[in-house]
Amino acid sequence: MSDKTLFEKYGGFSSVSKVVLAFYDTLLDSDEIGPFFDDIDMSRMVDHQTKFISSLLGGPASYSDVQLRQFHRNLDITNAHFDELKAVLEETLANHGFEPADVRIALEAIEARRELIVD
Amino acid sequence: MSIEAINEQLLRAIGVGVALLGRKTLQFHFHNDTFEEWFGNPNGPATLQDIFTDFDVEELNKSLNETGRYTTEVKFKKKRRTMVIALDFTATEDREPEIAVLVCQNITRIRELESMIDSYSMMVERNTREIKREKEQVEKLLLNLMPRSVYEEYKTFGVVTPQLYEPVSVLMLDFVGFSETVTTLDPSVTVTELNDIYSSFDRIGEQFGCERIKTIGDAYITVAGLPDPTPDHARATANAAIRFVRYLERRNASHPHQWQCRIGLGTGSVVGSVVGIQKYVYDIFGPAVNHATMLQSFSDPMQISVQDEMARALSEQFELENIGEKSISGMPDQPVWRLLDNRKGISAAG
Repeated sequence: MSDKTLFEKYGGFSSVSKVVLAFYDTLLDSDEIGPFFDDIDMSRMVDHQTKFISSLLGGPASYSDVQLRQFHRNLDITNAHFDELKAVLEETLANHGFEPADVRIALEAIEARRELIVD
Repeated sequence: MSIEAINEQLLRAIGVGVALLGRKTLQFHFHNDTFEEWFGNPNGPATLQDIFTDFDVEELNKSLNETGRYTTEVKFKKKRRTMVIALDFTATEDREPEIAVLVCQNITRIRELESMIDSYSMMVERNTREIKREKEQVEKLLLNLMPRSVYEEYKTFGVVTPQLYEPVSVLMLDFVGFSETVTTLDPSVTVTELNDIYSSFDRIGEQFGCERIKTIGDAYITVAGLPDPTPDHARATANAAIRFVRYLERRNASHPHQWQCRIGLGTGSVVGSVVGIQKYVYDIFGPAVNHATMLQSFSDPMQISVQDEMARALSEQFELENIGEKSISGMPDQPVWRLLDNRKGISAAG
């Protein structure tokens, strides 16, 4: 088995950056999740999404469980919101040529953190 | 369709916001569809300030008067996305009434990309710093295990070729009654004190060009003439040995626990190499090591025993005392010498 992370497998930052921007666009447009970002400054939002996608794919960022819990505290995030985010992510990855098995790996990785994010 | 009509259609449909303003009044005379999509319709006699509140008109006029141009950026939210638009004003010349052309470019994506690059480069830079720190720690650890030149060879080629060094001098030091010390003293105290002493030995040895090879419990082995050959190898170890004893004497005078050592100085050849694959360690083998080990056992506490061959090299500079003939490592009996600290002799005489 190769030790390559998904981040490396799909071409590093130059490819992942496209995933980040597409994900960012879809999130902002989403009427379910979008409102969470109403008052968030653009650069913070982009920073957050860059780190989120990078850490999800095994790139050069990682959020600890404590950080994740802290970021999402008191936001009233429901399971429905979380499911919507997963759906957005699934679609984004699939649109960017991720193999179904790899999409599954990424989705499992965020599913494992559901409890930290959902209130 | 006339050329004018085509031009106007183009101007309306283009993805860049365009507007014409009265140079003095800053009232809108014309705007295209893109402009309206971003900033709304400047109805009636709307001015620049009506559309862009907080606009620095003074700065605009000053710049237009001086250079004929002015650029700035505006931000606004469209739905929840922060849009960033670059505004570029140009004053027209030789025309009445004077007008200013406003061209608006959507640079939202550029700003988003810049934020992403910032974010990513910060992550990468932090990781690079961490990797560098880890690398330095690994390097430090490896330099504790092997001489620098050996480490460089290991780093470059991935292997270390065993090498014969000849001649070298080996200093072997052992503590008297160490087993009892270990059982009577608190283990952490023993380790702290040993660490303290070995660190001092390292520093002393370094001053005289000795390379510490290893410690095995209470045994400390350092060598001169390796990895770089030196004609002074015997003197280097002799000088270090005398200072080791002096150091311990001074330390004992002010510490509750006494450390007594025996030292042996041997000379000859050794092979130096990295041993082991997973748990590798740099080690030396050979007659010089065996000699030093044997000679150390001949020493009384705080005394230094020296091999005959070495004693000859040292006799000019050091004071030596014959302590009889002994067999070393299965070789025929040969004289063994005790190395004296001539500074003590001088101070006693003085």
